Amino acid sequence: MDTLAKLQILSGAARYDASCASSGSKREVPSCGTGNTSQSGICHSWSDDGRCISLLKILLSNDCRYDCAYCVNRSTNSVERASFTAREVVDLTLDFYRRNYIEGLFLSSAVMQSPDVTMERMVRVVETLRTEEHFGGYIHLKIIPGCSSELVRKAGLYADRISVNIELPSQVSLQRLAPQKHKDSILEPMALIGREINSSLVERQADRRAPRFAPAGQSTQMIIGASPENDFQILRLSQGLYKKMNLKRVYYSAYVPVSADNRLPVLAAPPLLREHRLYQADWLLRFYGFSAEEILSDDLPNLDETFDPKTAWALRHPEFFPVEINRADYATLLRVPGIGVTSAKRIIAARRFSAITPEGMKKIGVVIKRAKYFITSSGRSFEKPDQTPALIRQQLLLGEGYGAPPPRQLVFPGLFA
Amino acid sequence: MLMNRYLYDGTADGLLSAIAWILEEEPDPQQVALVERENTLFEEGFFIGTDVILAESLFFRLRKQTPDAAHTLYSFMLAEKEGMETSLLHYISLAFRYGDKVNGYLTHSAVQEIVAIAKKAGRELHRMKGLLRFEKLRDGAYLAKMEPDHNIIHPLAYHFRTRLRAQHWFLYDVKRRTAARWSNGTLQFGTIEQFTTPPLSDDEKKVQAMWQTFFKTIAIPDRKNARLQKSNMPMKYWKYLTEKQG
Repeated sequence: MDTLAKLQILSGAARYDASCASSGSKREVPSCGTGNTSQSGICHSWSDDGRCISLLKILLSNDCRYDCAYCVNRSTNSVERASFTAREVVDLTLDFYRRNYIEGLFLSSAVMQSPDVTMERMVRVVETLRTEEHFGGYIHLKIIPGCSSELVRKAGLYADRISVNIELPSQVSLQRLAPQKHKDSILEPMALIGREINSSLVERQADRRAPRFAPAGQSTQMIIGASPENDFQILRLSQGLYKKMNLKRVYYSAYVPVSADNRLPVLAAPPLLREHRLYQADWLLRFYGFSAEEILSDDLPNLDETFDPKTAWALRHPEFFPVEINRADYATLLRVPGIGVTSAKRIIAARRFSAITPEGMKKIGVVIKRAKYFITSSGRSFEKPDQTPALIRQQLLLGEGYGAPPPRQLVFPGLFA
Repeated sequence: MLMNRYLYDGTADGLLSAIAWILEEEPDPQQVALVERENTLFEEGFFIGTDVILAESLFFRLRKQTPDAAHTLYSFMLAEKEGMETSLLHYISLAFRYGDKVNGYLTHSAVQEIVAIAKKAGRELHRMKGLLRFEKLRDGAYLAKMEPDHNIIHPLAYHFRTRLRAQHWFLYDVKRRTAARWSNGTLQFGTIEQFTTPPLSDDEKKVQAMWQTFFKTIAIPDRKNARLQKSNMPMKYWKYLTEKQG
């Protein structure tokens, strides 16, 4: 089979991995080598599903021994199988990188003979790239659960980011849908990676030439909608992963039905809105100072479909509002629906010069169509004051593009001039 | 209130030296207007001649006292925007007064205008770092063509000088007929009057076909979203994208 045919099979098999980040690492070009990494990450293209392409995302092989119900590569699924040689992956990466198609490589694999054999072959690819070809671009390497800790350590020394997929939000679901994968074989390498990252940071403080371990951190991914967990369980799991395992990112992947199996739900389409809401809530955990318990509870275990999680929180907490934009601190501004990290920073920078008026808000680029119900400027409301949450909810629904679009109004220029 | 009106010759050096002169001589630069000379008979205003040394020293002082504003000014110049001289004068006078905090003064219209234009140029520069596509030529060098809205060939070339320093390459801005060339450890800029595309290397079409295949298969068919794709990657850039050909 030629490389082109393999590429078609092994990129198609890799497309369900959500991560494509290339940020968070600052790697210099090796002497007599090619490639560096950019702290902010660079997107090189956007595929037909609108997702960013920054890495050559492929499997080393899709020839899998495991039979996970949700996976397109499961051993009992009749798809064409292929495996790359190390040289093929190295050449593809360099050929693409030199033409500026990509920021680097994201290598994952199906489990071949054993986790160790698979991981060893994957590590050999990145070892060749780094030590023989002096490649300085971004590398994201997937860890195969069950491989030796020695291979995990080696992977972390060559790659910018490494990740172990948690696959499903609970042990029960893992047992049911992926019986050959065990919770411990996923959590153990995660904890090991966390420890190695920390000790490498400590060592580098003492000696700047000490080797870096996965400088862009570790991430994970779970499938949403293939198992019965609610959003509250999922968010609490993510919160634990961020706090206890020190993860950089948790990715959520809406379940795309790829094989018929009576253990799986029948879905008309992937639950994309649910995935979107989970990402919004994930952002609230990481950048907005929210806890999972503030966003959801046992009585309210799923995210609102109509409103984003922050607006839903605000409507449940009228006592927190209105927020005075000329006095509130950063953390309080961040809780206002419609005011994000950028807007909050801009408000704080601009009010050093003079009090911000409603016109000033427009000038500094804060979109107030949602925020206006929740803020005052120098004591004055933007909307009629003392509106009940029910009324605000209604107005948000009417005017803000939630639900059905409002009928178009014709405007005759000059008629009222 | 009638503003004092000054004129300059329309060049970048002329603009910066006029600003430097006004900052020195005018008690309140915020009340002053600066426009390009049109050389009509009844044009009103005081003409300030170009002084390269004055222009350079202005940029040098700005870089020393407020690196953020100097960076904004650099990005603003990439935009080649006309008719913004008065706003730029006001912005720079505020930058000397407030230092690096000035970019936060977005309620001031001059700051808002200059920062917005600089941001847009910076955004396209970042975008092109990803969207630029090289093709391998028969002699082993790599060539990338582009038609960006902003004049970003210099900072773009600096990016690839580090990243792709092991290969010979050219950047060619088709709209402005300017080019950058990296070869044997030196970077050169110039203009090209007559451009003919050199022949491609023998394996180039094969590599391009692989990339086109990857681009097609990496998308999840159940999630097709052409609108999102176009909003992230506007169609004006598709002309030179390998994955959008053939």
